[in-house]
Amino acid sequence: MKQNPASGPSAEDTMIDPVEIMLVAGCQKGRVDPEIYDLIAFGQRLQSMGAQSIGTQGIRAQSIGTGTMGVWILGDDVGPAAQDVARRTGVQVIAVQGKGLSGYLNETFRAVISREMEAVQPAFVCAGHTSRGWEWAPALAASTGAACVCGVDGLVESRGRICFQRDVYGGKAKGLYASSAATTIITVQPGVFKFDPPAKLPPPAPEILKKTTRLVSRTRFLGLKQGEADTSHMSSAPIIVAVGNGIGDQKNMELIHRLAKLLPRAEVAGTRIICDRGWLGYNRQVGVTGASVSPKLYLACGISGASQHVMGMRGAKFVIAINTDPLAPMFNEADICIVEDMIHFIPLLEDACARLAGNAEQDFVDSKTLRR
Amino acid sequence: MEVRIIMGRHSIMNILVCVKQVPDLERIVVTHDAHGMASLALSDSFAMNRFDEFAVEQAVSIKESMAGVHIDVITVGPERSVQILKRAIGMGCNDGVHLATAANADPGPATVAAWIAQFARSGEYDLMLCGVMSEDSMCGQVGPMAAALLGLPYSTQVMGMKISPDLADVSIEREIEGGARELVDIPLPALLALQPGINRPRYPALSNMLRANRHVFKTIPTDTLETMGVQVDCIGLAKPPHTRAAQVITGSPLEKAEQMAALLKAKALI
Repeated sequence: MKQNPASGPSAEDTMIDPVEIMLVAGCQKGRVDPEIYDLIAFGQRLQSMGAQSIGTQGIRAQSIGTGTMGVWILGDDVGPAAQDVARRTGVQVIAVQGKGLSGYLNETFRAVISREMEAVQPAFVCAGHTSRGWEWAPALAASTGAACVCGVDGLVESRGRICFQRDVYGGKAKGLYASSAATTIITVQPGVFKFDPPAKLPPPAPEILKKTTRLVSRTRFLGLKQGEADTSHMSSAPIIVAVGNGIGDQKNMELIHRLAKLLPRAEVAGTRIICDRGWLGYNRQVGVTGASVSPKLYLACGISGASQHVMGMRGAKFVIAINTDPLAPMFNEADICIVEDMIHFIPLLEDACARLAGNAEQDFVDSKTLRR
Repeated sequence: MEVRIIMGRHSIMNILVCVKQVPDLERIVVTHDAHGMASLALSDSFAMNRFDEFAVEQAVSIKESMAGVHIDVITVGPERSVQILKRAIGMGCNDGVHLATAANADPGPATVAAWIAQFARSGEYDLMLCGVMSEDSMCGQVGPMAAALLGLPYSTQVMGMKISPDLADVSIEREIEGGARELVDIPLPALLALQPGINRPRYPALSNMLRANRHVFKTIPTDTLETMGVQVDCIGLAKPPHTRAAQVITGSPLEKAEQMAALLKAKALI
C-alpha cells in the first residue's frame, strides 16, 4: 500500500500501488532466462535512484520508489520456475503461460507484453539485452508509443535526471540517455548488475498465473539448432592469444600463431570480424555469439574491445592489451596496456622472450619480414 | 507470382535495403574533461556502416539468383551520405533514395524508422533488409521499429535465409547466444536485420561505379516528412570506466617488449 500521509486511510485502502517497473523474461523447457536476476538488480537500483531524485523528474518517475516492481515470465510451462524466482528474490512474479509461447517469437512476445502493459501502465519495461530482448523491445516501443533505450550498462544521475548509460562509437564513449516518455522500454546488458540475495527475504508475494490463449502469429518457430562450432577447447585454455581487426592482413595471422606457440598450452582466438573473414574458424570466436572464456592470461592483440567481444572474455584472470589506438575500449578491460602496433611489437616481444628464456640464438629473422 | 509495376518498372520481387553512413571509428578523437564527461571529434572520413554491407550483398546475391528482382537502397543523413548510395549501386543495387537531413542532424532511431516507413509505404516492397546495428550509435532499433510501423513481420541477427520458390515466405536462421540458431518461418513481405558473417560483401564493380557516379538519386528532404516517434534525450557522452588496473607500459617499443617479457616470466608463462 502506498504510504501517503496526506491522504486519508479510507482512500489509502482503496489505492493500488502503481507498478513502475516491470521486468520481462522468457522461460523455455522450465528454465527462466538467467538474466532475470540481473534485471531484478537493475530494477532495484532504478527504484533507489528514483527515490533519491524525487522532484527533479517527470511525474511518472517521481513515484518510483513508492511504486512496485514486478516480473513477467513468458513461456508454455512457467509455474515452478516462476515460484522459484519469487522465492529467491521476494519480487512479485506474474507467469504468463500459453501454448503459443513454447518457442520464442518476437511476434508472440510483443502481443503478450503489450496486452500486459495496457493493464498496468508501467513507467519502465526492462528486458535483457540478448538476441531476444534486443529483437522485440524496439518494435514494441514503436507500436505502443514508448521510448526505447537498448544495451544499457549503467545508471547515472546527470543534471538532475536519471540517465541510462550505453556504449556508443564502438565503446569509445558512453552515451547518457534520459527519457521523459510515459513508458520507456529498456534492454539491459547481462552480467553488469549483480543480484545479491538479501539476508532476510520478505515473504514472497504469491505468484499470479495467467493463461494466454488465441495467440495468433504469422511467423512460425520451427526449432533450435545447436551451434556447429565446438568451442570447448577454448573454455579450458589457460592462455588465450586473441586477435582483432588490428592484424590488418591475413598474412599477418602467422604472427599470432607463432606468439601462441611461445606460450604454454595457449590457444589462438579471434573477434567476430576475424572469424567472419574466415581467417579463423568460428570455433575460435570469443564473444556473445562465440565462446565465453576465463583463462589465466588473455592477450588481446589489435582488438578494439566492442562489448560483444568483451562479454566473452570478462572472466579472464589477467588481461594484456596491445593496440595502436590509446583510446581503444579494450584498454578499459585490461590490466596491462601496451600502445603499439602489434605487427611491429610481436616480433620484438618474441625476441625479448627468447632472450629471457635463454635461447637468444633462435632465429627470429622470419618475424621481421612480416609487415603490413 | 504477380508482376507488379513499381516506380515504373516491372519486377516480381522488390527489395529495399536500409544503409547508414558512419564515421571512421578509428579516426575519432575522444577527449575527456575532469568531470568524466567526453566530447568527440569526427574526422572527415566516412563510410558505409560495415553491418549494412551484408544487407546490400544479400540483396544483390538474391538478384543474381533469380530474374525480376529490383533493389532500392535508402539512407537517412546529410548530403555526404549520397556516397554510400553510390557504393550500393556499385555493388549491384538498382536505384537509391536519399532522405536528406541537415548537416549535423542526429534524428535518433525512432525518427529514422518513421521516415523510412513513410517512404516504404509508397513502394510495394516484398523484402526489407538492414544491418543488425550501426557502428556509431549502436542502437539496433531502426529495423525492428520500421517493421512495427509498417506492420511487417521481422527478425534480427539473421545468419541464414532462404526464400521459398513461390516467394511467399522466407526461412531464416537467427544467431543467438553461444552460436546456436533459432529456425523461423516468416511470410513475405518482411524485414530482416542481418548478422555480420551471413555473406562476404563484395567490392563495388568499376563499371557499376561509373554508372553510380552519373546516377541521379531521388532526394526527399526530411523536413517534408512527418516527424514521429518517441525520442530519448542524449544528455551527453561520458568516459568509459576502467574495469581493471589499466596500467600503461611506457618506453621505447623495445623497452615495452622487454617489460612485457619480464612480466610473462614473472608469471611463469615463458
